[in-house]
Amino acid sequence: MSGLSIVAEGPGRYIHWGVIQISVANLAIIGVMILLFILALVVPFPTGHDERSEQEERGR
Amino acid sequence: MTTRAGELSPDETKDPKNWTNRLRGWLEGLVPPGQALPDTQPVYVASWIYVFGVLTLTSLVVVIASGCVLSIGGVQWWHVSSLGHFVNSVHLWSVELFFGFMVIHLWGKFWMAAWRGKRAMTWISGVLLFGISIGTSFTGFLSQTNFSAQWIAGEGKDGINSTGAGAFFNVLNPGQMLTWHVVLLPLVVVLIVLIHIIQVRRHGVVPPLDAHLEG
Repeated sequence: MSGLSIVAEGPGRYIHWGVIQISVANLAIIGVMILLFILALVVPFPTGHDERSEQEERGR
Repeated sequence: MTTRAGELSPDETKDPKNWTNRLRGWLEGLVPPGQALPDTQPVYVASWIYVFGVLTLTSLVVVIASGCVLSIGGVQWWHVSSLGHFVNSVHLWSVELFFGFMVIHLWGKFWMAAWRGKRAMTWISGVLLFGISIGTSFTGFLSQTNFSAQWIAGEGKDGINSTGAGAFFNVLNPGQMLTWHVVLLPLVVVLIVLIHIIQVRRHGVVPPLDAHLEG
């Protein structure tokens, strides 16, 4: 490890589409972020709301 | 002041000329009573999209903690030590998660128009945080002490100089960039994070657009 980490790594893989040039790594990260965003909107959030409502009902 | 609180009347302890009283009153009025650390939230907050602000904050805690450990070994520690390399990687990946979560948080808040209901300052402080965080990470990349840092400095200097900021912000000076990265910019980030969180606690979490809770 030691001294090797200061040696420049390879250029990486890039995707070219007209004027757009983006590395595969950055494109993958953006894709994962969009996926996370969509999942955050559609995946149900676990709540203890039902249990609390039941407890409140019992308390009345 | 040598008197004890019990010897003063309530009016005397609220003397507006006393800066301690004024500071205490200001601190107490920052957030409504009980809203500093609430244990319940409106029902609409039960959505994963509301989690990303806290995830961003959590990532920032890891960023700062790992950065503190890195500062013990110094900027070149990660080149010569497997432990240093590990801590450096924790620092890098917590920054990656910080930005990823922050951008998803931004998307979520943008599409629910989170500046509604007198929350403009919450939005503006978030935008400021986004910009200053980018600057902070930029100085971090300049502090890697490798060819990547050298290349970024060489590419960035003309852009910075074209703004006129190069006179006091020299990206070719690694010592200056390091001190900005570990002292000045983190202080600013933490300060604005506090302002951002106080704004959220003052005005509450923004409701969805279709909630019709406010005018």
